Amino acid sequence: MKVPYTWLREYVPIEASAEEVAARLAVTTAEVERVSWRGVSDSNGNFGNFRVGRVLEAGKHPNADRLQLCQVDVGDPEPRQIICGAWNFGVGATVAVGLPGAVVPGGMTLERVKLRGSASEGMIMSERELELSQDHSGIMLLPDDWTPGALLADYFALGEPILELEVTGNRPDLLAVYGLAREIAALYRLELAPPPGTDPELVGDEPVQISVDDTGGCPRYVGRLFREVKISHSPPWLKARLTGAGMRPISNVVDITNYVMLALGNPLHAFDLERLAEGKIVVRRARPGEEMRTLDGVDRSLDPRDLVIADANKPVAIAGIMGGEESEVGDDTGSILLESANFEPVGILESSERLKLRTEGSNRWEKGVDPHLAEQAAKLATELMVKLSGARWVGHADIQGDLPERPVIRFRPERADELNGISIPPEEQRGLLERFGFGVAKDWTVTVPTFRARDITREVDLVEEIARVHLDQIPFTLPARRAMWGRLTREQRLRRRIEDTLSGIGYVEACTYSLVDSDPDPRAIRLPDPLSAEHVLLRTTLVGGLIRSLRRNLDAGNEEIALFEIAHVYLPGDGDLPDEPVRIAGLTEGGFARAKGAVEALHRALAAPEPSFEPAGELPFLHPRKAARAGAVGWVGELNPELAPGEWGVFELDLDALAEVVRDVVVYEDVISYPIVKQDLSFVVADEVAAGSMIEAAREAAGAEMRRMDASDVYRGPQVGAGKKSITFAVAFQSSEQTLSDEDAAALREKIVGALGDRFGATLRT
Amino acid sequence: MRGTRVVQMDVEQLEQEARSALEQAKSLEQLEELRVRYLGRSSELKLALREVRDRETGMRLNALRQSLEVALGEKRSALEHGELQRKLLTENVDVTLPGEHFVEGHLHLITQIRREVEDIFLGLGYMIVDGREVETTHYNFDGLNMPLWHPTRLPSHSLFLNDDVLLRTETSPSQIRVMEAQAPPVYMISPGRVYRRDTTDATHSPVFHQVEGLAVDRGISLADLKGTLLHLMRALFGEKRELRFRTHFFPFTEPSIEPDVSCHMCDGAGCPVCKQSGWIEMGGAGIVDPNVLEFVGYDPEEVSGFAFGLGLERIALLRHRVPDIRLLWENDLRFSRQF
Ligand SMILES: [Zn+2]
Repeated sequence: MKVPYTWLREYVPIEASAEEVAARLAVTTAEVERVSWRGVSDSNGNFGNFRVGRVLEAGKHPNADRLQLCQVDVGDPEPRQIICGAWNFGVGATVAVGLPGAVVPGGMTLERVKLRGSASEGMIMSERELELSQDHSGIMLLPDDWTPGALLADYFALGEPILELEVTGNRPDLLAVYGLAREIAALYRLELAPPPGTDPELVGDEPVQISVDDTGGCPRYVGRLFREVKISHSPPWLKARLTGAGMRPISNVVDITNYVMLALGNPLHAFDLERLAEGKIVVRRARPGEEMRTLDGVDRSLDPRDLVIADANKPVAIAGIMGGEESEVGDDTGSILLESANFEPVGILESSERLKLRTEGSNRWEKGVDPHLAEQAAKLATELMVKLSGARWVGHADIQGDLPERPVIRFRPERADELNGISIPPEEQRGLLERFGFGVAKDWTVTVPTFRARDITREVDLVEEIARVHLDQIPFTLPARRAMWGRLTREQRLRRRIEDTLSGIGYVEACTYSLVDSDPDPRAIRLPDPLSAEHVLLRTTLVGGLIRSLRRNLDAGNEEIALFEIAHVYLPGDGDLPDEPVRIAGLTEGGFARAKGAVEALHRALAAPEPSFEPAGELPFLHPRKAARAGAVGWVGELNPELAPGEWGVFELDLDALAEVVRDVVVYEDVISYPIVKQDLSFVVADEVAAGSMIEAAREAAGAEMRRMDASDVYRGPQVGAGKKSITFAVAFQSSEQTLSDEDAAALREKIVGALGDRFGATLRT
Repeated sequence: MRGTRVVQMDVEQLEQEARSALEQAKSLEQLEELRVRYLGRSSELKLALREVRDRETGMRLNALRQSLEVALGEKRSALEHGELQRKLLTENVDVTLPGEHFVEGHLHLITQIRREVEDIFLGLGYMIVDGREVETTHYNFDGLNMPLWHPTRLPSHSLFLNDDVLLRTETSPSQIRVMEAQAPPVYMISPGRVYRRDTTDATHSPVFHQVEGLAVDRGISLADLKGTLLHLMRALFGEKRELRFRTHFFPFTEPSIEPDVSCHMCDGAGCPVCKQSGWIEMGGAGIVDPNVLEFVGYDPEEVSGFAFGLGLERIALLRHRVPDIRLLWENDLRFSRQF
């Protein structure tokens, strides 16, 4: 909402600068994006350089066909010679003159110049040059009753600050200059002018044919009829205000509807009466299949939920959103039916969403406009119609459904103090509420003004009214904390340990999108209306994101790549909502063994027993011959080389499954008192026997005193024969109760040799 | 059996000779030669000791062996010490050569900030709740007092799976779930991913990380919110930071405010980061709306609460001067390894 400051001052006698007011409003009322400036700068008496001029003589420049040489009365003893490039005026015209020394909008200073041998002592200005409108088709023609030599600034806002506010959805009352003036009057304890608009005399008794079929959607419809309307341009003061408020001046009638909307916050619409079938207005829902072309020239199909303004036959406007092209006011319009209505917000919001059409009007309706405003808006519009278009006001109708009651609230000033954390004397709270327009009875029963009725319905809403003007005085305290406890959960601690371990062994943490373009699981949840083709599916694995990150790093030429991510995946379940387990995924250079090493290191760091790795067969993303299940915790493998050049190790683990195998408390085991006996054992065994199975069998046979057994070397070749391999294990025996003797160690070794011989036909090499 | 051979040696002369040889030894190698010569297996002394028969000679020879061993030991320490001293004087290293290479890992910047925020609130006695991301409109909107007309409820603002299920637009639904499950007091923060129908640009991403906080207890006020957020902002942006509240509107809270922190770049003087205002917007906050408390079965006359929400990416962008939010999602190691 852009608010021209002099317009504001018409309603409230605020003396503070626009910047000061902006700073205050920003804290108590609404965000102020900036204070900008429209029109001519007023610094250093610059307004004095812009005067009303009357053209005394005008003729072709002797040395230039396209220029006019004029003598202009600007109030000085002698007329000034001014050269002008426009031809839309002649002798007797009243014009806007910038004198030498004037600073025009944009910052340029006018100077005395010579053009083709003749002096020009000033400039005749166009509307665009004064930032009154976009019109630059010719110079600006002023009313003839303006006095030559008078300051332009005496007739309209030549230049002024503009408050650019960002109003929140709960304060539609601030989407109006008068509403903002009311707020400022309350904040600064100033007197507010009565609302603008006084009905002129009704000079006819023509019927206004309005029927409202849907008073739910349209609780109020004020319709007024005007005859002998003369469409023309609006006067400069009105153009200045509209332009300052960010709207384009169009014609007097359209400008009046916009002006009233900006002044009071109630959008209006003007129909060309002659183009309404049977001169009728019917407010109803659209019929199936109905269409209309809106003012922006777009053909729109209407939905039976859309509220429309129709004539006897067809829709002529989408209620509250946009008028139709057919009934639009044009240059030849003579009779007007003016609509000052009230529409229910949710329906407008939904229609505007459905049609993807948002306008200044819909923006106000969807937030809820005070239904009592319609009448005042009609008054202001009528006053201006008669004044600016010469129209006769000849008919009036006011259809009302059920208008809402003003909410009445029981208020406790001490309750406000409790919630706000600051003590404000009750009488001060009373005064504040009253200035904001609330009625406060002796017993603290508060009646809400109609323009806040939608926002304020409960005591706590009033508490906010007190809070917002005291925000900078509220002290800084902490909650009393009678009972609180703060700690990470077991899963949260585990997650941090995993993050630290993986980053400790050289992995860089990645963060990738949860919405992806493809996923290996055909059941992955698909967004019915995705944002873009890249964000269609809810991922069931983190690996896809890591592969994308890998490619980006490869393209960038980065080296020593190892990435991990910990995040939710989304698995369709039986209920309405998917399961969202947390996964830990890693991707590293160096192939299968490198990734497996990371998974092993992670288990060691968490003091968890290492999982048993078993061939997994085909898994998404993986080389089909280099993939393993890591117990119930997850999987590890080598990236299918089709996905990225080189050898890349990948793993994905489940946090909950990992939490299952991590012990809550690790209990001490004596690994210090008695020495370790180390032995290397080499076996010859069939090639397909997995080292892991041999270790598992050995552990079963030898029991807990076999502390470690790690495959340290594998040999295939003529010495062991075809289809066989020699595999060497580094074995460590240790007891927690005694020093193992040579005989004890030999016995353990025999158990292992026996078990591996029985199970796998392995023979000990000596 | 060997034949008997009478020990024919001059003990004193041997001692003198050995001692002076030891005295003059210059290196550990020389010393080893002398050890072999005078105390080795086939040295004169060892042979004599093996063959000696009378007790007195035996004692003399043993005494000699012991004293020579002591002298040898002393000489060895002296020589070793000298050797070490020489090494310390002559050995050298080019300290400007790189050390042995380790690849270091890094936590993502968002994780680092998330942990910082978590630790601040753990210190204040809050718990941390990582809620679900796919939520029902019941928890994401109804429970948060989002009016039916609120734009966030529309498919043009949020990402829906069907009419009743969507990707959460904030982490607050988890607060509703926690309050439903336990009686007050509740002190919690919920960091996590949230989703909006935003087109990606330098400051927007359809997925981003938010942390929302909630404190519900007897007598919680706006002043408590102010103190808590001041503590948070000083912890994140430095002890000199100031905090102010501006009025705002959120369905979840009433009164609602937006907290601003004084600009850490210019100390409030005005600069491009704070758009010359001296203040930086940090999110949304307020006193929990009584409708929300009633929704979970709490009595708003008994307890009150505050709630706040801020974006972790925003903190990253502001504090670390990251110019584009997309850098946080691209995982280019050149970027990640900076932090
Ligand atoms: Zn700054």
